[in-house]
Amino acid sequence: MADKIIERLNEVFQNVFDDEDITVDRDTTADDIEDWDSLEHIRLIAAVEREFGVKFTMKEVSSMKNVGEMIDIIAERG
Amino acid sequence: MLFADLFFMFAFLPLCFLFYFMFKSIKVKNCVLIIFSMIFYASGEPLKIFMFIFSIAINYYLGLWMDKARGTKICKFALWLALIYNIGMLGVFKYTDFMINNINGIFSTSIPLLKIALPLGISFYTFQILSYIIDVYWEKVPVQKSFHKLLLYISLFPQLVAGPIVRYQTIAEEIDDRKTTLNDAFEGFVRLIIGLSKKVLLANNLNVLVQNCFGENISQASITATWVGVIAYSMQVYFDFSGYSDMAIGIGRIFGFHFDENFRHPFMCRSISEFWQRWHISLGTFFRDYLLYIPIFGKRRAILSLFLVWFTTGLWHGASWNYVIWGLYFGVFIFIETKIGKKNLKKVPTVLMHIYNKLVILIGFGIFKFENMSNLGNFFKNLVGANSNELINNITKDAISSHIYIFIIALIACFPIATYLKKRFENSNPFSNSIAVVCVTVFAILLLMIDTTVLVKTFSSNNPFLYWNF
Repeated sequence: MADKIIERLNEVFQNVFDDEDITVDRDTTADDIEDWDSLEHIRLIAAVEREFGVKFTMKEVSSMKNVGEMIDIIAERG
Repeated sequence: MLFADLFFMFAFLPLCFLFYFMFKSIKVKNCVLIIFSMIFYASGEPLKIFMFIFSIAINYYLGLWMDKARGTKICKFALWLALIYNIGMLGVFKYTDFMINNINGIFSTSIPLLKIALPLGISFYTFQILSYIIDVYWEKVPVQKSFHKLLLYISLFPQLVAGPIVRYQTIAEEIDDRKTTLNDAFEGFVRLIIGLSKKVLLANNLNVLVQNCFGENISQASITATWVGVIAYSMQVYFDFSGYSDMAIGIGRIFGFHFDENFRHPFMCRSISEFWQRWHISLGTFFRDYLLYIPIFGKRRAILSLFLVWFTTGLWHGASWNYVIWGLYFGVFIFIETKIGKKNLKKVPTVLMHIYNKLVILIGFGIFKFENMSNLGNFFKNLVGANSNELINNITKDAISSHIYIFIIALIACFPIATYLKKRFENSNPFSNSIAVVCVTVFAILLLMIDTTVLVKTFSSNNPFLYWNF
């Protein structure tokens, strides 16, 4: 299940950041992807919400520390 | 009471240090800090201090209530009460006349202005309280069960009236357990003196140059005077505000608190987005964490949230349309930069990027400076010579020649020289390291002596910090 989520997430990341070379894992943070700043974060969140049909709360959006936390929330809701 | 003031530097602060370090117990130390913070605030607001303490008490109880009602609707209700109370107080005190002015303008009414005086530091302490309340609601931090510790966090005098906006989680642990190491004390004192010098030696002198350049009436200024004036003004605001932050961070450090940095050599930026990651960082991160991700705009949230943040940033700086325009102006450039993308921006030659961002920043400071729209219009015209002004005149030459040294020193001080030197000596052998410490100490003592001389000479003149008004 988690593997499938990460695969789909990877595609979302590649689309949002327009970079086919991106591969994310649970430990990936905003520091690892150059373009991942606060504004791109909004676009990313919107794209992830569309892809998985989930809604993140504002607390989650502002305090997600890495991709792992994002996966956990998706797995819990999806 | 001002930071750049003889009484503060040579009476208030030494007395506070004396009482603080006289006692060993952290509880007594905290009490000393609260008492001195109250004296500090009361010296500026002898009456509104009661409102200030009352506000903290309300938020203290709402925090406890939220914590008790966790998981129920009451918790959310308490959060809303806190948000309405805090934003409402800020709104009433800061924006009432602005609203009345606008209503009068739109509906041709003549409602009289209330002229409510702005309580000292309300823009800063309201944001600190909000960050505490929201973080408790989000369970990012445990609720503070002791009133005097919350009072200490909000009222701590170094950051009370002009920032940085310190997050509760930054110092939550240090309220209960902190130590002042020799290194803390040394770096704290050096930082304090550097901050004082930025204000007393650079900002205050640049202020004279700015006034000489712009003159009584901006439309009379020459083209050169307008350009030099706005460059000097940008540096004045920077040294004034970052000087204050340095003093706050330095004093905090002496007490064993580690506040986050508020400025990182903003003029070294390569883009406007980067400028704002280096300028007034505590405000930018506040808006990022508590406003940018607010889910109210649906599909268009990326762009609308961005402009909401910049509208608010502008309005936070002052109840006047020029500040709103100033905020949105930066929002537009940041929006354009995100559309171009970081990768593409990287391909642009560095020289071009610096010309672009310095121009945008300087014009931004012009918008910030001129509250009156016709003055702002004249400022723009002057920049390109559309006011049929001279390129340079004798007044301009006098203004520049009498301040040329300050201007050059200020320009050099915008570069991260201290950071570079610190890195250089950090990993060097103990001998050159101790020489560096001696040099820094001598430099700091010299600066303090010069600052003091200047403060004694200008004893009667008023030199408030610019951000004191916000």
